[in-house]
Amino acid sequence: MKIDIRHIAKLSKLSIPEDQIERFEKEMQSIIQLVENLPEIEGKATAVDTENTMELRADEVVASASREDMLMNAPQVAAGCIVMPKVVE
Amino acid sequence: MNNKYEIVVGLEVHAELSTKTKIFCGCKNEFGAEVNTNVCPVCMGLPGTLPVLNEKVVEYGIRMGHALNCTINRATKHDRKNYFYADLPKAYQTTQDDVPLCANGYLDILVGDETRRIGITRLHIEEDTAKLIHADEFGGTLIDFNRCGVPLIEIVSEPDMRSAEEAKVYLETLRTILLYLGISDAKMQEGSIRADVNVSVRPVGAKEYGVRVETKNVSSFSGVYNAIVYEANRQIEVLENGGELFQETRRWDDAAGKNVLMRSKEDAQDYRYFPEPDLLGYVIPEELVEKLKAELPELPVQKTLRYMNECGLSRADAETIALSKDKAFFFDACMATGKCGPKLLSNWVLGEITRVANERRCEISELPLTVENLVDMIALIENKTISNAAAKTVFEIIVDKDEKPADIVKAKGLAQISDTSALQTIVDSVIAANEKAINDYKGGRTNVLGFLVGQCMKQSKGQGNPAMFKEMMIAAIENS
Amino acid sequence: MDKLYSLSAKSMKELLDKKEVSSVEITKSVIERIEKTDKDVCAYNSYNFENALKNAAAIDEKRAKGETLGALAGIPLAVKDNIHVKGLKTTCSSRMLENFVAPFNATVTEKLNASDAIIVGKTTMDEFAMGSSGESSKLAVAKNPWDTSRIPGGSSSGSAVTVAASQVPFAMGTDTGGSIRMPAAYTGIVGLKPTYGTVSRYGIIPLASSFDQAGPMARNVDDLAMLFNAVCGRDKMDAVTKNYTFEGYGDSVKGMKIGVPKEYYGEGVQPAVKERVYAAIETLKCQGAEIIEISLPSTEYALAAYYIIQCAEAASNLGRYDGLRYGFRGSNTSNVEDLYLTTRSEGFGDEVKRRIMLGTCVLSSGYSDAYYKRAKLLQQNIAKEFTDAFKTCDVIITPSIALTAWKFGEKSGNPAEVYAADICTITLNIAGLPGMSVPCGFDSTNNMPVGFQVIGKKFRESDVLTVAKCYENAVGGFAVKEF
Repeated sequence: MKIDIRHIAKLSKLSIPEDQIERFEKEMQSIIQLVENLPEIEGKATAVDTENTMELRADEVVASASREDMLMNAPQVAAGCIVMPKVVE
Repeated sequence: MNNKYEIVVGLEVHAELSTKTKIFCGCKNEFGAEVNTNVCPVCMGLPGTLPVLNEKVVEYGIRMGHALNCTINRATKHDRKNYFYADLPKAYQTTQDDVPLCANGYLDILVGDETRRIGITRLHIEEDTAKLIHADEFGGTLIDFNRCGVPLIEIVSEPDMRSAEEAKVYLETLRTILLYLGISDAKMQEGSIRADVNVSVRPVGAKEYGVRVETKNVSSFSGVYNAIVYEANRQIEVLENGGELFQETRRWDDAAGKNVLMRSKEDAQDYRYFPEPDLLGYVIPEELVEKLKAELPELPVQKTLRYMNECGLSRADAETIALSKDKAFFFDACMATGKCGPKLLSNWVLGEITRVANERRCEISELPLTVENLVDMIALIENKTISNAAAKTVFEIIVDKDEKPADIVKAKGLAQISDTSALQTIVDSVIAANEKAINDYKGGRTNVLGFLVGQCMKQSKGQGNPAMFKEMMIAAIENS
Repeated sequence: MDKLYSLSAKSMKELLDKKEVSSVEITKSVIERIEKTDKDVCAYNSYNFENALKNAAAIDEKRAKGETLGALAGIPLAVKDNIHVKGLKTTCSSRMLENFVAPFNATVTEKLNASDAIIVGKTTMDEFAMGSSGESSKLAVAKNPWDTSRIPGGSSSGSAVTVAASQVPFAMGTDTGGSIRMPAAYTGIVGLKPTYGTVSRYGIIPLASSFDQAGPMARNVDDLAMLFNAVCGRDKMDAVTKNYTFEGYGDSVKGMKIGVPKEYYGEGVQPAVKERVYAAIETLKCQGAEIIEISLPSTEYALAAYYIIQCAEAASNLGRYDGLRYGFRGSNTSNVEDLYLTTRSEGFGDEVKRRIMLGTCVLSSGYSDAYYKRAKLLQQNIAKEFTDAFKTCDVIITPSIALTAWKFGEKSGNPAEVYAADICTITLNIAGLPGMSVPCGFDSTNNMPVGFQVIGKKFRESDVLTVAKCYENAVGGFAVKEF
């Protein structure tokens, strides 16, 4: 399989310098090679494993965290909110 | 609208559920709290946090699934939908992909005189995103995470609607159902219902669908209507000018009344869905599914039809009552007493009672008015004990105080006079005092009769039976 | 008493219980040891000495008052730097989180605190746990105490090193494809990856959520069991955890059936490693175990299935590092799109970028069926093979890793070859089974430690530890590097 590093990088929100594209392509190709050797197996993985299920949570309020704690790693805070560059739509 | 074309519409409706807590954490689910106060590491998407699913969200989803005649997938799971956006702190939304909670249903809606069946492709549960607040004074955009993790259901319809009007009715019906089930506040102005609208057009009679264009960000009933009309016209214009349509995503600008291109097909998102590895699948007990089905109330469209067919209400009155949970539940409670008939009751519910509730900006159920007092009062009108005018006096009292209408009528002497001799005295005196009007009537201007009866009612202080007055007045004039 | 730091946790506990030493004395000894040796082995990203001493004093006071104490009361340990300890940095050895201060505790941390353990610092690791050598760390790069020119193994490199270098008696690591067992094998200590769902993942920065499991690393089986017992069990914050109680362990393998799968002893495994593992099996046989040859044919596809699923989940888990809310912020902040690109391109190392792109690729439209979905099906097949194999045996023994610690830089530039070294350990993460690396001597070619892996049935950590304990007794204990 040919890997389009530029497309994948764009989807991944990574910018890969032009001079490194080839190296990444080669490295990923070698990993993908492992995958190419997968057998052609029949069937489909079970969507829901009913033998291994989880418990759900009751709809009960748990005290929220302090805003100060929640924002302490933010690069910029104003008016109780995280500030980020303007979103251009 | 160019009548060479048929419009095809499908809707994706997102509704916030009114559970106490968020979908994956115990933070409060409430609108309008101070910014970033209903937050915790989980809903902020901090690294190392994990979701734990709220059982109420599943239950609410199943209720809605039943209301939409869906199959419930008892063994279900969650998936990640990966994309980058500033309001999505994990860079993926935990939603449901290939095994939605509910699927393959339908909703009957009333459009004009027709019942239209709209297919429901699927209904799934997922999380809402954070709110971005554009604030130039801070040189950027602010993020408030209170809404992040609020539970949503997404209801995807089949492309079964054929006009903007149908889409609007569909959305209104969905909204009413959400309110009937008590699972959402369904306030469009607070953004608790939002719709993405898929529109295509095709020549009338064509079998194949046209190119579908999605319009996002529609958040009002009129917006849905306008967005569809706008987009359909845009597509028809392109086709009429020999142009080509593209599968793309557009954004509705309600203020400007138009949409703008958001993403072309080339930029289509690749969401890279895969099973949410932080959660396991789960199996919903059959008993729960059945219990929720049994608890399903009568829904608005069925109510409308019943009000028309069994109560004899007009289509307009039936629908106005049924589309309001508040009116409908009050109306049904009154009917359930068996003490009064539907017609006069519907007049009161849609008239005086709604007026007072509107004035006070409250629900009918929040008024001190009791069902018993109202039906007793209406029964008094129906058995001609009191006139409509006297009933208004009674109503002004019972709307605020729990007093028996019969007692009020007695205490205030509001009972209608049906004693012929007493009424005849009044009729005679009115005739004597209105010679001109009598002559006018005799000269063919029979519409003065209303004035004369009114005079009689005035003299009787509203207690005379107006029908009897009318009858006696005509007899007296003709015999004079 | 000198060299308190070098005692086992069990001995420390005995001395503390008898009030022969205080926790402050032990903690001071450990801190001195770390201060003296860590410049050579570089096990830590950050220290927590001040709090550790304060907590040790508080526990001594509790003990003096006769209050009830937790199972690890007063014993120092270290945790991997992807486990949140409130108020300390959690860096994942990445530039992306270099200054990220944990605003909450991981459940594991809560449990350690409830056991009155003393956390002395955060140990280094491969960046975001991506690696099996420790070399991908962007902060401290830990060195193998047996030969500091060699890799200690990863990704729990610092936890392995701090234990192997006798800085602390035990430490917490995390394991996604061998990240506890491989460094344990490379540094000659014991390390357990518990059954998926026995230890809470809450508050641990994930690599691949459906494989990740935290576990203990120690110099002997008793200490390992002590730490495991303190951290395991159902957590309502982690939906995949099960009601689990560790049932303890014995020291006899008499009558136990040990499966030996031939696929794990192939050409890729160095002869020196094979020789030591066979010798260990022979030892267990002499202790009364029955050795059964078994076959796990899907093993050859495991590596591909593992990397597809791991990278897919990792790419998704790492999407949140975008410079907006926390962590590193890239150089171009003029708009959000540029901020994403510069933050992620400058904040992540090459190994991380490679796996993000691989994960994005295998999930992307048009590839998901051929790669991701096929890998999920293989995962089911591999798990089923183990279930079937366990019908004929109680535990399975394989090498922990096909080779022994190599020199730094020796294998850079060939990620596929490095990935292939994980083959013995990854199948357990795929199948969710418990596995433990146990030291079994040294590679005769370079004198570096060799380890064998004991694999148990789901939730049968007891069986795994019983085999390990029996072997430990039979060989008279494990060698400790004088350092």
